[in-house]
Amino acid sequence: MPPKAAKKHKKAVLFFEVEILDAKTRERLCFLDKVEPQATIVEIKNLFAKTHPQWYPARQSLRLDPKGKSLKDEDILQKLPVGTTATLYFRDLGAQISWVTVFLTEYAGPLFIYLLFYFRVPFLYGRRHDFTSSRHAVVHLACICHSFHYVKRLLETLFVHRFSHGTMPLRNIFKNCAYYWGFAAWMAYYINHPLYTPPTYGAQQVKLALAIFVICQLGNFSIHMALRDLRPAGSKTRKIPYPTKNPFTWLFLLVSCPNYTYEVGSWIGFAIMTQCLPVALFSLVGFTQMTIWAKGKHRSYLKEFHDYPPLRMPIIPFLL
Amino acid sequence: MAAVAATTATKGNGGGGGGGRAGAGEGSGARRKKGPGPVATAYLVIYNVVMTAGWLVIAVGLVRAYLAKGSYHSLYYSIEKPLKFFQTGALLEILHCAIGIVPSSVVLTSFQVMSRVFLIWAVTHSVKEVQSEDSVLLFVIAWTITEIIRYSFYTFSLLNHLPYLIKWARYTLFIVLYPMGVSGELLTIYAALPFVRQAGLYSISLPNKYNFSFDYYAFLILIMISYIPLFPQLYFHMIHQRRKVLSHAEEHKKFE
Repeated sequence: MPPKAAKKHKKAVLFFEVEILDAKTRERLCFLDKVEPQATIVEIKNLFAKTHPQWYPARQSLRLDPKGKSLKDEDILQKLPVGTTATLYFRDLGAQISWVTVFLTEYAGPLFIYLLFYFRVPFLYGRRHDFTSSRHAVVHLACICHSFHYVKRLLETLFVHRFSHGTMPLRNIFKNCAYYWGFAAWMAYYINHPLYTPPTYGAQQVKLALAIFVICQLGNFSIHMALRDLRPAGSKTRKIPYPTKNPFTWLFLLVSCPNYTYEVGSWIGFAIMTQCLPVALFSLVGFTQMTIWAKGKHRSYLKEFHDYPPLRMPIIPFLL
Repeated sequence: MAAVAATTATKGNGGGGGGGRAGAGEGSGARRKKGPGPVATAYLVIYNVVMTAGWLVIAVGLVRAYLAKGSYHSLYYSIEKPLKFFQTGALLEILHCAIGIVPSSVVLTSFQVMSRVFLIWAVTHSVKEVQSEDSVLLFVIAWTITEIIRYSFYTFSLLNHLPYLIKWARYTLFIVLYPMGVSGELLTIYAALPFVRQAGLYSISLPNKYNFSFDYYAFLILIMISYIPLFPQLYFHMIHQRRKVLSHAEEHKKFE
């Protein structure tokens, strides 16, 4: 049905029709007529959610081809390769949870759990150790460092990071929390144990480790701030990150993801400080995961930006 | 688990791809027949033939030892060396997945092979007292039959000439062999426990300069517990595969 044209401009607006089919069964789930050509995918998702409220927009994947890639929320209907009746295929991504919620939960756990061991709360160690305190200075320092690290992460989640995606699958929260909370408990158990053995090279080793840790924490924070400043609030733009006046960001000259580089450095520092094998293992596992992420990010940068600086490696300068 | 895992789903189709073991992409919908090149295929055929032969050696060894001894107790000693050699050799299968000549998941294959290798070396070899247990024979027989069928299945698949009998055997005998193997494995681990505790085997306690401890006894108990969620999943996955593969093959036979 043609719209009423405005009196002065006689420009006919051609409405689109959108049919949404289930990607697996091809069953028609929804038919939308009179869709604005400038409508974005997220607006279509909202309309679809009206007829099927259990599929809120975050859990919808709409695509042009049942086996193809998901369309982005910002994509505009008339810019897609569709006729005036667009056929979109729907796939349910499953229950979703916001990134912020996941991050807050997975980081609050280690903060709290480590303190349980630090204060030697009952049932963790033998009864005679309940609420006792370690006689080693490094144990107190380690608690401060570990706690600082997770408080920093929580604050960054709330005030610094700008997320590309709003949500992730719900099952991730269980997986992620098991990882963070599990390792935190494992590390904290040994560091705060009554039979803990302080580092072999004593105060020298601890001082060196603390220096590494502090430098890397500052570095990591600097990178997070630099990345935040690349992206205006509420947007999802992507730009090549470059070094700023802050010397910690100069690592961008050599690495695509210096935040991960600094993060690994922090944990290596913590491992040296505590001389605790579980911490070293945690660092290794974290390094493996971050390397995978860094390589992926590096590849995306290379694909998206043809003028991407060639000297940069994903995570370790010159090597990896 | 090791018994279950090794027979676990391959590609639903018999032809091409050879040696595929993980659950990835079976069923007629997702058939990506990129397959290995001619050199890789030749190598894989040789590998699978050698493995089939190796497990046949173990099977024959068991039978001969039984006939010689007149009893089925303590037969482990007669096939200990080939069992260790050929089961450990299966580590190559992880490499095959990693370099891409076998279209299976590296993670899944690693898990499967490592669990077998664990049982052979970290339990049976390490705890000498369990070597005379009957439970060892239980899983050795289950593994032997499973592997002979599995490796011949791969061999024939690579040569694009899979007899229905082998396909049938692979997707049917597991129904008995899985539970048999799992029982043997669990009973063996259970039998090893007191000796592990006594000797403090592979365990390290505090205090030490790396601030680490490991209790192998507790670890073995955790392994046993892990069978509870894992075994049913793998078992029912194979049952599901069986329905898909054998009904598909039936349809093909109808049209011949």
